[in-house]
Amino acid sequence: MHSRIWFLLLLFFSTPVLSTSFEVTVITSPAEDAFNDGKSFAGITVDPQRPVRRAIELALFESSTLFETVGINASIRELELDTEADLQEQLQSISMPGFAILDLPLPVMERVAQLADELKISVFNVRHSEMHLRESLCLAHLFHAIPSDRMYFDALGQFLIHRGWRKVLVVQGPSSEDKQRALSLVESLEKFGATVVDIRTFSLSHHPDDRDENKPEFLTGGVSYDVVAVVDSQKDYGRYLQYSTRIARPVVGDVGLTPRSWHFSLERYGAPQLNERYRTFKTGELLGAQVAMTDAEFAAWSAVKMVSNSINSRQGGTELDLNSLLRDPASQVDLYKGTRGSIRQWNNQLRQPILLATADAVVALAPMPKFLHPKHYVDTLGLDEPESKCRLN
Amino acid sequence: MAATVVITNERSGDLVFMDEAGETSDVHKLCGRPRGMVQHQAAGTVFIACSDDGKVVEFEISNKRIKREFTDLPGAMSLALHKSSNRLVISNEGYAKATVIDTNSGAVLANLSTGREPDGVMVTEDGSLIFVASENSGLVHVFDGNTYAPLTRLITNLRPRRMAIRDKELWVSSEMGSRVEIFSTDTFDKIDEIVFAPRGFRSEQLTPVDIIFDASQQTGFVALGSANHVVIVDAVERKIEKYILVGRRPWGLGLTQDGSRLFVLNGLSDDVTIIDVAKRRPIRTSRTGLVPHSVEIVH
Repeated sequence: MHSRIWFLLLLFFSTPVLSTSFEVTVITSPAEDAFNDGKSFAGITVDPQRPVRRAIELALFESSTLFETVGINASIRELELDTEADLQEQLQSISMPGFAILDLPLPVMERVAQLADELKISVFNVRHSEMHLRESLCLAHLFHAIPSDRMYFDALGQFLIHRGWRKVLVVQGPSSEDKQRALSLVESLEKFGATVVDIRTFSLSHHPDDRDENKPEFLTGGVSYDVVAVVDSQKDYGRYLQYSTRIARPVVGDVGLTPRSWHFSLERYGAPQLNERYRTFKTGELLGAQVAMTDAEFAAWSAVKMVSNSINSRQGGTELDLNSLLRDPASQVDLYKGTRGSIRQWNNQLRQPILLATADAVVALAPMPKFLHPKHYVDTLGLDEPESKCRLN
Repeated sequence: MAATVVITNERSGDLVFMDEAGETSDVHKLCGRPRGMVQHQAAGTVFIACSDDGKVVEFEISNKRIKREFTDLPGAMSLALHKSSNRLVISNEGYAKATVIDTNSGAVLANLSTGREPDGVMVTEDGSLIFVASENSGLVHVFDGNTYAPLTRLITNLRPRRMAIRDKELWVSSEMGSRVEIFSTDTFDKIDEIVFAPRGFRSEQLTPVDIIFDASQQTGFVALGSANHVVIVDAVERKIEKYILVGRRPWGLGLTQDGSRLFVLNGLSDDVTIIDVAKRRPIRTSRTGLVPHSVEIVH
């Protein structure tokens, strides 16, 4: 018994008293039209967007016991950018080793990411699924916790093949963003062996001359298909396609069955606990039963947890070298999706399973059965190492 | 007396009773989401955590009735019983704590602060140490079993779930780390780890949960979750002996008193695989209730 008391005293005094600091900077920009606020015509909210800060606070709250144990002082700081002023100067206020979550609209985010890369601040993209950020931009200090378009669409492609729905009618919006994303969708569908029977562009016009583009029955008529895949980033039109197609077929993509990184109704892998915590973790703030983290919020939560989970598995650390920690192949994060996440060495993308969900149910979790990768379970989703132009490894 | 196998089923809220051959004799509706279960051999009862009802019940095996209830235990999940003092340790998932109750009087002896999402609980045979694993925090909190003072925290790999003790070793399964980590119960240092990596599997699919040892503590059994296998481990050499295919997502494990039969609960196929331990082969799969969680074999 004595030996145990001695040992515990020793343990007490040898516990690392030196505390390392870990400051999470949330970078925001004040512009009111900063990013799509989820409103469609007539002020109807179809895709609610919130600042990601609450999810970061949750991740820090969850990590507090561990941080206390290994001697890390964690804090959160918000940096609201004046986008008219010198950005570099403002970014220099971030204390090193810098770690920031970019809660920014795309054009500002791209500028900030390049400056942060020069300043060697590790920054996380949590909002933008655009391929060019992972392909041509390709920065060593820019990490992507939000899945890429190809990860989302590969999940969808695998699901369609798994269900035997091989003939796909693609419906896209008229914006250049929609056309770009539709290209990714078609690449994903063809990669897994689906056939795109036609690509059609909808129009919001109600003019009788445009009925082939605006009336769902005409837009989806004159061709045979198993499923309609919709790309409609603004959620303007696509949501009216369900139950209105020329022939009775399911609708998937940006509406109907949707690929997502998180959902309120995921009932396995500990997800109910995480959802419950998100709803209730701050006193007096009980969100509605169906309010869960958005994909952007889940990405911000994942980014912070990536740090705490990786320190964890490394048995504590003295001085944080965040960029090396994040890029270390042994670093990992428990994503509450049944498989741990980690950073792809070639493009800094967080690899993760993708959910295929309706409004109120998670129908499947990709990778789907029999889509096997030689190296990594979830690397059939998104551009794999040989396909990617980005070579950070 | 022949043994009775008792299985808690969290989704159907009932208990399934079967014999050691896997022949079901009875299904008994019990409570909301029965999960963790531990045997109180001397009393011929089992304690069962009814998670959705926030209570633990003591259930008599012979006449199949609830003998006592311990209420006001929100999120009760896993249980450990210290036999000589009849103290029960209960993890309260969702509340970052564990409760110790005196099952003789029903009194709450301690509320232990743990990390987020406590699951597995363990008490040393002499009752001097209590361990609680927190899934979210990646920690095992260690408490003095007599004063309930927090002693130290063991840093684990991702998502520590269940624990088992052999000799002076604490074995902790790391569900998302695909391994079992072994800590000394004397020094609390990490001694070793066993990483599961059967041929043809991706590492991430190996998600170990329940661990048990046979009576001699020479052999360990670990349920590997998403890998749909259970593994037999040489506990002395810390070497993997055999991976055995079972049903979908095996978590809960139980061993007959003579060590001849291993019961493996398959949470997603709603059945139990019975394994002949000597031959290291599954011999039968029997239906359970919905989402079987824990199994006890009562003699």
